[in-house]
Amino acid sequence: MKSLDTIIQQNEVLYCLTCGKCSSVCPITRWEDQVYTSPRLLVEKAIAGDQDAIFEDPLFWSCLSCRQCTQLCPSQVDFCGFIREMRALARSEGLRGTGTHGDIVQTWAHMMAAEDLSQDRLGWLEDSHEVSPKSDIIYFSGCLPYYEALFQDMGLEALSIARSAVNIMNQAGLVPHVMPNECCCGHDQLWQGDTRTFGQLARKNLALFEATGATQIVTTCPECAHTLKYDYPRHGVEHGLNILHMSELLAELVAHDRIAFRPATISEKVTYQDPCRLARHMGIWKEPRDILAATGFELVEMQRNKTQALCCGTSCWTACGRVNKQIQTERLMQAKATGAEMLVTGCIKCQIHLKCAQKDRMLQDDINIEIRDMTTLVAEQIGFKDSRGPGSE
Amino acid sequence: MDPKHLIIFTCNWHAYQNMEMAGASKQGYDVRVLPIRLACLGRISVGIILKAFEQGALGVLLLGCPPGTCQYESGYAHAEKVVEQTRKFLHLLGYSQKRLRLGSANLETDQSFTETVELFLKELDHLALGPENAAAMSASS
Repeated sequence: MKSLDTIIQQNEVLYCLTCGKCSSVCPITRWEDQVYTSPRLLVEKAIAGDQDAIFEDPLFWSCLSCRQCTQLCPSQVDFCGFIREMRALARSEGLRGTGTHGDIVQTWAHMMAAEDLSQDRLGWLEDSHEVSPKSDIIYFSGCLPYYEALFQDMGLEALSIARSAVNIMNQAGLVPHVMPNECCCGHDQLWQGDTRTFGQLARKNLALFEATGATQIVTTCPECAHTLKYDYPRHGVEHGLNILHMSELLAELVAHDRIAFRPATISEKVTYQDPCRLARHMGIWKEPRDILAATGFELVEMQRNKTQALCCGTSCWTACGRVNKQIQTERLMQAKATGAEMLVTGCIKCQIHLKCAQKDRMLQDDINIEIRDMTTLVAEQIGFKDSRGPGSE
Repeated sequence: MDPKHLIIFTCNWHAYQNMEMAGASKQGYDVRVLPIRLACLGRISVGIILKAFEQGALGVLLLGCPPGTCQYESGYAHAEKVVEQTRKFLHLLGYSQKRLRLGSANLETDQSFTETVELFLKELDHLALGPENAAAMSASS
């Protein structure tokens, strides 16, 4: 376990100039109106060596790791990395953040980490889908089947994302492999400081990847993409595979004319929510826009977009409360202000959190905008209609 | 936790009182039973049940008041929904859905707690060990 000093050193925390730029962009600082907290203050506590004060700070477990502060920092202090590693240290001392949804996500991740588990997770596949275990390309559906079950009353597009992804790949002549026993990528465990479960999940997935002989993995979740691409190698899980988020694959397919869109009948205005992991952590914000342009939709940008986009308000199921709801509401209001009829996103978590915020009846007219996933929208535009529909299983 | 425990979440009313009566009238039941008292089955959630399985429970039994007699009116109906949703997770995770059961105990028939528990445990043994081994086990006990 890394000590506070090592964490400070490795994340360049000592370079902080206390300029406060991070505080100006941090969504938690802005909406947490009962206690003043900011990344800068947390860094100050770290430099003072006051470990307990860091663990007690309201930002410590509620930080969204949205990377706005890290991106803006003139001294390149890696605040996200600092938080991630400090949470692991806190966890080793028996501390942990609040678990949302009765801790179900953490529980299923622990259960998936068990060695002798044999999941039954491919019920979403259709007979018409072409898949092959000998394929060079793996489609990693992540926790989509589990989210479908957890948020069954929310009309979520979860498994329809997985079905759409395979439909699109088949249409483009790609026959992916879908792994019957793949595990959660461990993103949420890593960011909660549960490095033990993260390691177990990563090693289980590594063994599965190696058994297939594939050379690339496509995910429809930005968090899976980021974790497989950067966090696995960083934690010694070297798979050597090429990791693509669906939007990268789609942009490539569009550029090479490998998928054909139906001519747009109506020019509908849409706006796009950049997931933090995709836009800021991985720098992928151009591809989704290219895809939306190719599908014939008219893209209107929100007040804050691309790498400056506002987070969907909750991360790794550690905190969900007043502050998070305010961030989500603000984002939905920004979407509404564009005049768009639809908010498109490329991340299941953004979809869950924003749809959940829309349950607020008091704000109905200010925030009611249709929320869609990019993959299902693209599948629809190339002529696939998901027969089962959201929330049907 | 011992991997062979049967976790029973009982409501505070018919189910818990029925268990107390079983104790008072010296009816024996399996040592693997681990009862947890709740105010009502309305308190149960998917996360709590899954947690029991994560920690190695052989099975989970929810015992409430007989249908239609819930002390707080909607507790049993809530538990029915929770069980249905939890079974989806058990299915995805490759666990037998038979390891989770919702039942009720009736105060007026003092045998119902021990009977329900023993019956469920017998079925769980069949699931875990296969029918032949389970028969051998019950013969030796």
